[in-house]
Amino acid sequence: MSKIKIVAATGCPTGIAHTFMAAEALEQAAKKLGVEIKVETHGQVGIENTLTKEEIRQADGVIIAADKDVQAERFVGKPVIDVPVAHAIKDAEKLIQTIIDGKATVYKAKKQESDTTENTASTSGSSIGRQVYKHLMNGVSHMLPFVVGGGVLIAVSFLFGIYSADPNHESYNAFAAMLKNIGGIGFGLMVPILAAYIAESIAKRPGLVVGFIGGMIAYTGGAGFLGGIVAGFIGGYIILLLGKLLSGLPKSLEGLKAIFLYPVLGIFLVGTLMTFLVNPMTTINEAMMDFLSGFQDANPILLGLIVGSMSAFDMGGPVNKAAYVTGTALLSEGNFYFMAGVSAACITPPLVTAFAVLFFKKYFNQSERNAGLVNFILGSTHITEGAIPFAAKNPIVVIPILMIASSISAILTYLFGVQVPAPHGGFLVLPVVTGAVQWLIAILSGSLAGAFLYGLYKKREAQKERSAEIAA
Amino acid sequence: MEAISFENIRVNENIHSQLEAFNRIAELAISNGIANSKPAIVDGLLGREAESTTGFMDGFAIPHTKSSEIKKPSVIILKSTNGIEWNSLDGSPVRFIISLLVPEEDAGTTHLTLLSSLSRILIRSEVRDQLINASSASEIVEILSSVMKNT
Repeated sequence: MSKIKIVAATGCPTGIAHTFMAAEALEQAAKKLGVEIKVETHGQVGIENTLTKEEIRQADGVIIAADKDVQAERFVGKPVIDVPVAHAIKDAEKLIQTIIDGKATVYKAKKQESDTTENTASTSGSSIGRQVYKHLMNGVSHMLPFVVGGGVLIAVSFLFGIYSADPNHESYNAFAAMLKNIGGIGFGLMVPILAAYIAESIAKRPGLVVGFIGGMIAYTGGAGFLGGIVAGFIGGYIILLLGKLLSGLPKSLEGLKAIFLYPVLGIFLVGTLMTFLVNPMTTINEAMMDFLSGFQDANPILLGLIVGSMSAFDMGGPVNKAAYVTGTALLSEGNFYFMAGVSAACITPPLVTAFAVLFFKKYFNQSERNAGLVNFILGSTHITEGAIPFAAKNPIVVIPILMIASSISAILTYLFGVQVPAPHGGFLVLPVVTGAVQWLIAILSGSLAGAFLYGLYKKREAQKERSAEIAA
Repeated sequence: MEAISFENIRVNENIHSQLEAFNRIAELAISNGIANSKPAIVDGLLGREAESTTGFMDGFAIPHTKSSEIKKPSVIILKSTNGIEWNSLDGSPVRFIISLLVPEEDAGTTHLTLLSSLSRILIRSEVRDQLINASSASEIVEILSSVMKNT
């Protein structure tokens, strides 16, 4: 009988130390037990000692010792042990012995948690909250470049005039119209990309298509970024569910699953679900518009509170649009007061994040800092969506903070009696604003108050993490 | 072997907690011109530790972090006279700390390879035995250099 051959893959989040310690431990243990092993390392420098298809095919067993994705799909059908990286450092011999004894279970896609070695399930499954956060972040980080790229081009187009993209307006400029068009396409993809990569994080590649389409339905149906988050999670879990339901199919149909069954069944299910979910959102939307326009003569504080909360609630989504569209509708009737509050409330959220990043720099990571600074531009040009990447990371805390900030801006704007005759453009329309200075004061007050709250929240989070660690 | 230098090694430390160790690492990193910000190092090391412990076996721990505040890839070694509670894989208190500090931006493959091979040799029990018995910085440098040369 020939020597037993094992392949392994190791990886840890930072990829500096444990990845290689695990690899070394496995190699030493293999030498001792007289088996052949090849260990692929997923470290900071990339993947080294890569396993070939042939090596995987010939191997008698696979050891995955990783706290990150090491493309385990490759090992479907092989006896696999899947453990956290620390197990390989501590118990390398035991892991190899398990393979030698033929006690490793055969790997099936997406089901490893429940049926590999017992201790795997308890240690490798991180908490649900952390999982959800990881999926969200995958969506947000892929969405960010679309927001920034699209947003900045739209902002630049406003420099040519607020109506420069409207061919029927005297300030029409072909170049500005093109910029706005390109930027708009980037923006339009934001929600689908968010949904697609949330689903991709949950269900790998098959998740991409369902997330994308679910997100597109959310976007075109007017369900905004909250709809996109819903679509991403629904899509991802539908694919996981399908994977479970289809796991009984013979292995020869494996290829058919990926190219035919997942996409077709997946988008059918996601599409149907999302179509039903989008409709109630539109109804809510319309009801809110009626409600708002009936609020014309209410006291400014209450009106500011409502407009501010609505504008910041979903930033460019249906609730925000209800306030915004009401503003533009009233604008065409010659009411310039209402819009001033809406604009102030829409400008505030990105500025909140921008100031927070500026004043509480050390509690944000590098990419957040960069995005925060871009938000000075996006906020100043009435592009509320700039705040979405920040809100999406922890909507339950961040959105209320933004709502408070926007409310302050809107309330002050109504109290000062500011009039804004333009429906968009942010600070670029300052020359035509009646009470421009008061308007600026109102917006800055709200933004700074929000930034302060947000910064304190981030600071507390950081301290909590630290003290939890010290206690542990 | 420029990443492992005498000035980054302290053998007779008297450390009582993980946080104290991280503060000490950060202080050394600042005074030896490795990093710009003390809180960034301490937070980074704590953050890594929160993901999973870096303490492994026989009183060894390899706390490590990556940060834009770190200027060059470095190794800081602390040997403590008393054991520090570290929640290690084998539960043993830590006496030998090898801290790897890596800049955020591309640190250069050679340095990262050095750090990874350093991690690898710590898996060997005979290397750990030699290190835990070493009594001076030069002895530690000698052990590490000779083992790594033969790898």
